[in-house]
Amino acid sequence: MSQGHPLLKFEPLIWFLFGQGILVGSILITSWLLVVGILHPLGIVSPEALAYERAHMLASHPVGRLVLLGILALPVWKGAHHVRHFFIDRGHAERDSLIGRFCYLAAILLSVAALVSVVRL
Amino acid sequence: MPARKASHPQAMAPSAPGRTRTAPPVQPGSWQTSRRMKQYSRFGMTGWVYLLASISAIEMVYALGSGPEAYERMQGVFGHPLMVLFHAISLFSVGYVVVRFFGLFPKAQPARIGPLKPPPGPVIAATLYGAWIGITLVLSAILAGGIF
Repeated sequence: MSQGHPLLKFEPLIWFLFGQGILVGSILITSWLLVVGILHPLGIVSPEALAYERAHMLASHPVGRLVLLGILALPVWKGAHHVRHFFIDRGHAERDSLIGRFCYLAAILLSVAALVSVVRL
Repeated sequence: MPARKASHPQAMAPSAPGRTRTAPPVQPGSWQTSRRMKQYSRFGMTGWVYLLASISAIEMVYALGSGPEAYERMQGVFGHPLMVLFHAISLFSVGYVVVRFFGLFPKAQPARIGPLKPPPGPVIAATLYGAWIGITLVLSAILAGGIF
C-alpha cells in the first residue's frame, strides 16, 4: 500500500472509530441484545416494556437518541475493521486495498442509516 | 543549507552475497489450523456478527420511526426463533470480544501518560468490567421497564 493511499491517510480516524466501536459499542449493545433481542421475544420481559408508545418515548428523548446512535453506529466500525482483518489473517493481504475500501464504505453507509433512523424518530 | 540527498537503500548491503545462505521463508501448510490463527479467526469473525447485529438494530429503530404498524411487524421478525438464536450468538460474541479486549487493554497502556503513570492493570480491568456490568444493568433495567 503506497504512502498516499486513502486507507493509510484516514487510518487515525478509522482506528478511533474502531476503538470506540469495540469499547463503547460493545458496552452499549450488550443490553440491547439481551433485552430487545432475547428476553423480550421470549416473553421474559413484559410486552408493555417495549410497547410502541414507551419505546418511542425512550428512543426520542435526547439522551435516548444519543445512546441509540452509539448502539447502532459504533459496533459497525468494530465489525468493518475486524472483517477486513479477518480477510488479511486468512491470507488475502494482497486484496486488502479493495476489501478495506469495501468494509469502510459499508461502515459509512450503515452509520448514515443509523443517523437517519435516530433523527427521524 | 544545502539539501540533503537520500542515501541509496542498498548503500549498506554487502558487495557480494555471503557464503552462508538461508532458505527462503515457506509458510507451513498447517498455518490455518494453528492455535493462534484459530484465535485470530474467531476474533475476526465477531466482526461479521457485529455488522449483522447492527443492521438488525438499525432496522428495528427505523421501524420505530415509521409508526406502530412497522414496529409491530419488526417485533414479529425479532420474535422468530432464528432471530432469537442469532441475538444469543451475538451476545456471546460481544462477551467474547469484551473479555479478550479488556484483557488486552491494560497491557496496551504506555509506560507514562504525560507526567502520570497509568493505573495498575487490575485497576484498569476492574474499571472496565465495572463500567460494562453497571451500564448493562442500568440500560437493561430501562429497556425492561424496571426504570422510567
